[in-house]
This record gives sequence, C-alpha cells and structure tokens, in this order.
Amino acid sequence: MKRVISGVLFAVMLLAIAPAYAQDGTTFTWGTFGNPVSLDSMNTTDGISFRVITQGCEGLLRFDKGTTNTLPNLATSWETSEDGLTWVFQIREGVSFHDGTPLNAEAVAWNFNRWGNTDHPEHFEEFIFTYYEYFYGGFDDESVIASVEATGEYEVTFTLSEANGVFLTNMSPTMTSIHSPTAVKEHGTAYGDPEVGYVCTGPYQFVEWLPDQRVVLESNPNYWRETEGNVDRVVFQVIPDNAARFAALRAGQIDGTEQINVEDLDAIEMDDSLAIQMRPPLNILYVAFNFRVVELQDARVRRAISMAFDREAIVEAFYPPGAVVAKTQVPPSLWGFNDDIPFEAYDPDGARALLAEAGYPDGFSTMTIVGVDEDGNVTEEVIEQRPFTIWYQPVVRPYNPDGQAIGEAMASYLADIGIEATLETRDWGEFLQLGRQGELFGIYQLGWSADTPDPDNFTGTFFINTDNPLPRSGWYQNPELDALLKTARATSSQEAREPMYQQADQILYDDVARLWIAHTGVPLGFRSCIEGYYANPMAEYYSTVVNNCG
Amino acid sequence: MSRYLFRRSLEAIPTLLGTSVLIFALIHMIPGDATNAILGERATEEAAARIRAIYGLDKPLTEQYFIWMGNLARGDFGETIRGGIPISLELSRRFPATAELALIALFLATIIGVPIGIISSINRNTLLDAVSMFGALLGVSIPIFVLGLLLIFIFGVGLEWLDFVGRIDNDISIPTITGFYLVDSLLQGNLRAFGNAAGHLILPALTLMTVPLATTARITRSTMLEVLGQDYIRTAHAKGLARRAVIVSHGLRSAMLPIITIVGLQMGGLLSGAVLTETIFAWPGVGKWLFDSIVARDYPIVQSVTLLVAGIYIVVNYLVDILYAFADPRVRVAN
Repeated sequence: MKRVISGVLFAVMLLAIAPAYAQDGTTFTWGTFGNPVSLDSMNTTDGISFRVITQGCEGLLRFDKGTTNTLPNLATSWETSEDGLTWVFQIREGVSFHDGTPLNAEAVAWNFNRWGNTDHPEHFEEFIFTYYEYFYGGFDDESVIASVEATGEYEVTFTLSEANGVFLTNMSPTMTSIHSPTAVKEHGTAYGDPEVGYVCTGPYQFVEWLPDQRVVLESNPNYWRETEGNVDRVVFQVIPDNAARFAALRAGQIDGTEQINVEDLDAIEMDDSLAIQMRPPLNILYVAFNFRVVELQDARVRRAISMAFDREAIVEAFYPPGAVVAKTQVPPSLWGFNDDIPFEAYDPDGARALLAEAGYPDGFSTMTIVGVDEDGNVTEEVIEQRPFTIWYQPVVRPYNPDGQAIGEAMASYLADIGIEATLETRDWGEFLQLGRQGELFGIYQLGWSADTPDPDNFTGTFFINTDNPLPRSGWYQNPELDALLKTARATSSQEAREPMYQQADQILYDDVARLWIAHTGVPLGFRSCIEGYYANPMAEYYSTVVNNCG
Repeated sequence: MSRYLFRRSLEAIPTLLGTSVLIFALIHMIPGDATNAILGERATEEAAARIRAIYGLDKPLTEQYFIWMGNLARGDFGETIRGGIPISLELSRRFPATAELALIALFLATIIGVPIGIISSINRNTLLDAVSMFGALLGVSIPIFVLGLLLIFIFGVGLEWLDFVGRIDNDISIPTITGFYLVDSLLQGNLRAFGNAAGHLILPALTLMTVPLATTARITRSTMLEVLGQDYIRTAHAKGLARRAVIVSHGLRSAMLPIITIVGLQMGGLLSGAVLTETIFAWPGVGKWLFDSIVARDYPIVQSVTLLVAGIYIVVNYLVDILYAFADPRVRVAN
C-alpha cells in the first residue's frame, strides 16, 4: 500500500513540476492588476476595461502610436460647416464587425443614438453611459449632439446645438468605440459581460473572460487594415499583487505590465532580459483651495502657501522616475501648455512676509468656514471654526503615489511658515463625494488623468462655472475665466483655441486659484524580446507589438 | 440522529437571520456607497442620484433589507452592482476555487500538524520538541505575504519549478463539472491538466497551510500531553500494550475532540476565503472578491457572500458535531 501511495505522490510531483507551457511567439500576455468591469465601452469608466476594449474596438478616429495625434480610422474623412454645428463623416467601406455584420453609417448613428437618447430601447437603465454625459454635456436635449443621422450608406451627419472644439477629438478615445448593433440587441443587458464580451471591428476579437483570471482575445481574420505586429493572441492575465506580478514578468509568465513597485524598477534596469518604457505624463496632481474658508479667500495667503512648498523635493522624494514638477493645469506634453508661466520658487521667507502682509504674522492654525446661498454663491455668514486642514488622497493614483506622505510633507512645509495644519482623509468614495459637494474644507489633494487629449479636458472641466461657482472646484469663481473657456470650447480651430488655454492657465496662476505639484509618467515593464509597443497615455494598441520571445 | 440534525437545522435559522441583519447594518454604516465605484471619479451628483435610484439605494434601509431578504427567499442572490453580473454565477466560479485551495491546505496542515504534535508530545522537552514548536511558532508568526512572495521567488522565479499565477495554465481548459480542477481533470482523464492544476496549487497551499499547521501541531501537542498523563494510559502501558498502540488507540483517540474542533474552525475560516493568499497567487476565489466588494461598496456581493460564509460555518459545525459522535462514544450516548 505504502508503495502505491508513494508512487502516486511521485507521479503527481512529476506532473506538477513539468515545465509550464511554452508561450508561442505570437501570444502577448499583459499582466494586469485588476479585473475589467464591463467590455461595453460606454458602460464603464475604468482603465483596465478600456485597455481590453481598445484592442478590439475602434472609433471614428484613433491615436497615432505613441502620440496624442489623431488619425482617420473608421471614418476616412470629415468636414464641418462654418458655424461648427454640422459635422459630416465618411465611414470606411468594406469593414465588418466580428459577427460578420457590416459597418455602415446606420451602425455608427445607432451607437450614438443608443448612448445619448434615454428612450432608446438599448439605452439600458442600469448602464451608466457616464462618458457620453461627460463628453457631450448630458443626455437627450442636454446633449450638445442634437441629432445623429445616416445621411448615406457610408455618411453620418451630426448636428450640434452649439459649436464644440472638442467634438472631433472625442471621436478617438476608447469610450466612443463603435459596437455591433446586432450583438447589442441580441445580448441586451448581458452585452459587455464575461459571457458575451464585445463585438466590434478591431484587430482582436473576444474569446473568453474569466473574472479575476484572464481575458483572452484572438486576431480578427477579417481585419480591414494591415497590422505591424505579429501577435495573434492577446491575454490579459490578472495578478493583483504588484510584487507577484513583477515576479511573473521575471519568470516570463507575462510579457509586460504596469504599476511596478519603485524598488523593482532598479531590478528591471539591471536585468538584460527586461526593459522599461515610460508612458508620457498626461496627468496632474494639484492642491485646491476651498474658497469657503475665509483665510484662503485672500490671494496673498494662497500665494504664501504656494511658495511654502518645495515641489522639486516632493517630486524627488515621492515620485518614480519620469515625473516632473508641474506649474500649470495643462501638462507640458499637451498643446495649450503655457511655458511662459514661471515655476513657483520655494521661498519660505517670502511666504512668511506675505502672510504677515495679509494679517497673519504668526500664521494660523484654525480656519473660518462661511456658508453658501440658495444659488450656490459663497456668502459672508460664518458657519464654524475648525482646525486648518490638509486633505490627502487615500488611494494611490498614477499622479499621486503616496498621498499621505506628500500630505505630511506639505504639513511640515506649512508649519515652517507658521501655518499649523491637521491632516485628514476619508474613504476614497466619501472623499470624492465631499470634493464634489465642496466640503473638503482647507486645502486638498486631487488629480486628473486625461480622458481625451485636449486642454479643455484639464481646464474647461473644472473652471467652466456657468452661472455659479462649482462646489467641486472648491467654490472658485472667475467670470472672465469662465467666458474665456466657454469661447475656447465653442471654437473649432486648434490654432485659435491654443492661446485661450494658455491665457486660462495664466489667469489661474495670477489668481493662485490652485497649486500644481507634479505630472507623472507611468513606468511599464517588458521582457526585452517584446518590441513595437508604443506607450501612450490615451490608448495603447497591441496590434503593433512584435513578440520575439520565441 | 436525523431528529438531532433537524433540530440543529432549525437552530441555524435565527443565526443566519441575525448574521444578515448584522452584515447589512455594518456594510451600510460605512460611509459612501457604490455610486463612486460604478461611475468613477468623473461622476456628477446628478448621475450618482440616478444610480442610487436604479439600485434602490435611495430607499429606507429597512425597505432595502426586506427587498434583499425577499429575493434571497426566492433563491435570488441578485446581481453585482458594478458590472451587473449574477452573483450566483460568480459564486459558482469562485467558491470551488477557494474550497479546493482551502481543503488541500487544511488536509496538508492536518496530516503534517497532528503527527508533529504527537511526536513533540512524546518527546517532550527534547531538541525534537523544541525544533517542532519553534517551527510552529514561526508558522504562526510569519506574515502570509512574506512567505508567499518568498516561495514565489524561490520556486517560481529562481528554480522555475512551480507555477504561481492562477489555477491552471492559460492553454489548458477543463470543462467545469464540479469546479474543483483536480477532480474535474481526473474525471475527464486529463492527466496533463491534473498535473498542471496540482502544480499551481502547491505554492498557495503551502502558504495557506502554515497557520493551521502550526495551530494544529500546538493543540495536538498540548492535548496529547494532558492525555498521556492520565491513569488509563499508565494502565495500558502496564498491561503490556505496544507503545504505538497506546499512543494512537488510547492517547490520540482521546485527544481527538479538541483537534477536531480546531480543524473544524480552521476549515470554516479557510472556506470563507484567504484574501492575502488569493491576492499574491492571483487565485480567483471568494476572499479577494469579497474584499474588493467591500471597498467598492458592492452591497449585494458583500451581503450574499457573508451570509454564505455564515452558512458554511454552521455546516462545518454540524460536521464537527457529527465527528464528535464518532470520536467519543459519550457524545453518541448523550444524543
């Protein structure tokens, strides 16, 4: 009996330690830290889902490799009327969805109508369509898209209710990818789920999605474009732990990954079999002021706080390689960046002098909070006194690798000029909610990563106030800035818009409306035998990847 | 026996109801709700209100509770808020993963831990005892993520002997019968899949077994020490029984009750998922899922899975009680 048991155990051991399957040369395995939420591009907001969708779904435009420049994609050409209210797109002929149904103008119009019209039969109530609302200002009559119609078999006409300078750019991010109407109708609310995946036109089609395990895609044999890469199977392998994912990279079980621990970056640099690529920074960590705090309503106090922070030291101490000190809301890698704005010099003596001039020669440790009226305008009615607070982000974000440590550093810089600050945070959901409601009293860290490569996404999002100050921008209000950004958004020509965004950043700087800390590149780790991967903050296409790992 | 089981089943109902109220209250007491996880950081307050209305999160809590219980009574676990996936489907995928790992880990912990405890007790205060108990102390003390990563870097990356990502290689698929890959691969006669799945199990099972192994070894040792000092053991020795027979038939048999209890408790704990082990080894089980769901405030998942875990504890306690009856005739007589 003993012999039998020993024999079985030995056999199991042999089978168990048999070499793992050798990855063939045409599989590209990306190690991802989490699970997608939905593969319907308008029913999700997370980067992991978008990365999977990007490989198989296409919009009317796409990004050019490692840049934010856009190229024709499912649309071959387009033209707009002089008033910018009518856009006519010519749709590429001879393209079919993964289910074999043809891509035509009807299909494109159907997608936009599904997203934007709440009474559309496939505008499922439990789907979020967040990015449609966000890109186009709302649903139905609130949307800047008044109508979308197929005006020919391969011609789609959009009519806008007002001119919109971001309209064309918004045709390139993954969110506005075109899905097969037949597949969405067939699967209903299960569309985008693990059992169904997506049915689009892109170079890879959906094979399987095992939640918290992997998503597998295979090349689309009928893809309309020649691709540069040699990968015919893409696997997204979920490995939540950063260190374990790095181990998988070293062991060759995955070909590339992100969210690498800083200490492992050195190991990659010393290992010839591994390589690092830097995803260019298209994000910002900022510190916002809450203008319901009386002390912060004085621009001299805000400037003093700005001068108190040694941003270079913060970036050097807490950020991975590739991060740069920020001086504007619009990152330097994006058009509309204003390089004439000076970096705020670290000047604690100057800061103390400014504080004294503002009436706080000994600094302060409490803050006075005032109310808002029914229209949302800040009043002079004192609500309460509280300890002066720095709110730090409770989660790691590409633009904020360690909110608490950066918050502690900020508190110590403020203590240096006499401002005694209490550190606070909340659960991330509650933090965001307090931010939206304008109730992060004091100064607070928040950040932004680009949804679309347009300065409006960085500046217009926060500072187009309409009639009242936006609580989520800390109740800051500047009618001149508001008017400028509205004009910029309603202007079609990039040449005309660029100086407007540069001026907007100048106004924000002069007003000390916000402090900018850092723009962060994201290090990606690869096996050295992987080529043709173009790191891109907007969308990375695996169809260009060449796997030479053999 | 069947009357006893029926009575115990009735007793489970108030326990489960109490658990449901408690978990419902606790998860809803945490500030924030699922809207942020669904809508992301770009959400407007209007969109958040719309989502709350769709999922009934704007209803009074008591009403939400009764809606949930009503659905449960119809066997409907509901759907995840984030992604809208049926929870019963996800559970059918994830629970076997957790259970397979937990059972293997517990099996190893028991077949190694009990002998270590026995050897330690009969060699009390010797070097062997000291080494065993130091090992047990180390097993309880070493953080799971340290041990897991160490094993990965030694056996996965360095020696390249064992896999450490997920349950099986991506190019092997096993049609689901039970959801236990070892069982399913054997049922289908797929030895390659069996070996591969076993290979993926070794490192996470070794990591997960350390704490139960150490606990089992220590409990076995202390119980055995107590039993071996009893008069009837001396009598057994005196009447000339072989030492091994005395230790196994007389000593271990009497020491079984506390060992069964501790193993049972550990099984309940392991079956509810091992967050750290599942995270490090990318194991698609219940523990990591539950953890992520709490962070995302995905109430239906948290509520259903927690209730399921409570149910598992109750069932395991049943089994322990039944095992008691086999291990100790006095329990049989009392029942």
